[in-house]
Amino acid sequence: MPNQIKCFVGVDIGSAFSKAAVLMDSRTVSHIIPSGGNYRLAAEKAVSEALAKSNLPMENAVPVVATGYGANSIPSAHIVTDISCHAKGTSHLLPSARTAIDIGDMFTRVIRLDSEGRATSFLSSGICAGGSGRVLQVIAHVLRVRLEDIGELSLKSQNRVNFHTSCAVFAETETVSRVAEGTLKEDVLAGLHRALAAQIQSLVERLGVERDCALVGGGAKDIGLVKSLEEVMGLKLLVPEEPQIVAALGAALIAREKADRS
Amino acid sequence: MAGYFAGIDIGSTMTKVVIMNEEIIASLVRVTTPEQRRLANKVMEEALERANFSFDEITYVVATGYGRINVAFADKQVTEISCHARGVASLIPTVRTIIDIGGQDCKGIKLSAGKVVNFVMNDKCAAGTGRFLEITARALGVKLEEIGKLSLTSRKPVEISSTCTVFAEQEVVTKLAEGIPLSDILAGLHQAIASRILTMVSRVRIEREVVVTGGGAKNVGLVRALESRLGFPVLIPPDPLLTGAIGAALLGRDAAEKAQKEGLPLAKRQRRLEEVELFA
Repeated sequence: MPNQIKCFVGVDIGSAFSKAAVLMDSRTVSHIIPSGGNYRLAAEKAVSEALAKSNLPMENAVPVVATGYGANSIPSAHIVTDISCHAKGTSHLLPSARTAIDIGDMFTRVIRLDSEGRATSFLSSGICAGGSGRVLQVIAHVLRVRLEDIGELSLKSQNRVNFHTSCAVFAETETVSRVAEGTLKEDVLAGLHRALAAQIQSLVERLGVERDCALVGGGAKDIGLVKSLEEVMGLKLLVPEEPQIVAALGAALIAREKADRS
Repeated sequence: MAGYFAGIDIGSTMTKVVIMNEEIIASLVRVTTPEQRRLANKVMEEALERANFSFDEITYVVATGYGRINVAFADKQVTEISCHARGVASLIPTVRTIIDIGGQDCKGIKLSAGKVVNFVMNDKCAAGTGRFLEITARALGVKLEEIGKLSLTSRKPVEISSTCTVFAEQEVVTKLAEGIPLSDILAGLHQAIASRILTMVSRVRIEREVVVTGGGAKNVGLVRALESRLGFPVLIPPDPLLTGAIGAALLGRDAAEKAQKEGLPLAKRQRRLEEVELFA
């Protein structure tokens, strides 16, 4: 009976991407889709597709633990903060991590965690999208480069531009001007990564880093940003194989803990 | 003062040119393109054509705005603060405070007897600039020139909590998906941006008369939101985009008058209007 399989579902509804993780005894399956405008639909789709990938029937979908920007739009889900989920997920994948930097679409967060995967303190980028991953999407679009390709491309830069703005909106205009002047795409991207890294570093500094430091969230998939951050921070960052699903995985782990307690 | 004077204002979003003496003889507004040196030549030629003048008939050219350095044929470059102040004061002599809402910046200028005494400027963050409205209008699927009027039909403006353009874009899309009427979202956006602008401009102490210029002055929803927050009406010049260029032309005329009065030659640049080599 396939529906006898014990599984726990975590879903992370971000402003850009929705992630679902299905935690089973022997393995974990995850799935990522764009969120679109309707978070409730995105959550349903992410969960059902993740279950289909796991060869599990839909009955396994409830109850789920939800987190992220759009979590409030999901009825019946148990909502946990993305801070707790990131801490839990990071600690599971990288047990030595004591600091996690999450670079999301709208926010960047720095989280200090203990050996049990509990968040002990955190800082979030506040009212400005300047230091978050959104700018990467905006610039990738302007440069007509796929988001997943900007990291590699930026590493080819020989002559990084100096980005003047940290505003995601103005970065777009600045990029348009640079491209019109004939600046190479990789040089624009390298400059962007550097500016973003500097901004993230200023947030990190305010909370302080305890090693090991992990980098999670969609931004961690950008190798150019990872390298740039390592350079600016002067330390090696641990990046899980699939950094974007860390909060969803954390949510699934929390779902399992809840079930164990009851 | 005899002669004709040109003012060219290369803004981040729009480029404006006027040719004038007492009255405006020709004016032009064009979208700013990245190749600004070429753009400057093109708009100047077009304005000359409209006025039916040759370039030699222009006594003095003053360039202003964010791209003023790219106007190779200008006799002088002057900051947009001075030009806006000169332009607005000539049109509305009672002005004490100018709120200029541009495509990518927002300025508050304080005047006393037509002279600049203080100013504040935001060009680091897109909040409170035309770009904020442009992006949110696009996210809502409405034309920029329609949002002002549409917002006035709102009965119950929603509260928009974000000032960051990126966050506000996300917020309005969510609100629209929740079924909140477009007009209420737009009214909320205009209130948010008005509050943001006035918080900044109040650093120079807002005093009447307040004149609103720039593209933002063409948005009736934003103007009403500013007025309701201020508690009194603001004044809008007949063509609010042109005040910087008008001021530039008038500062050129002032320079010519001064030179004439003092019997000195007018400090002019060796200038030619020709196609420039780009990135050579």
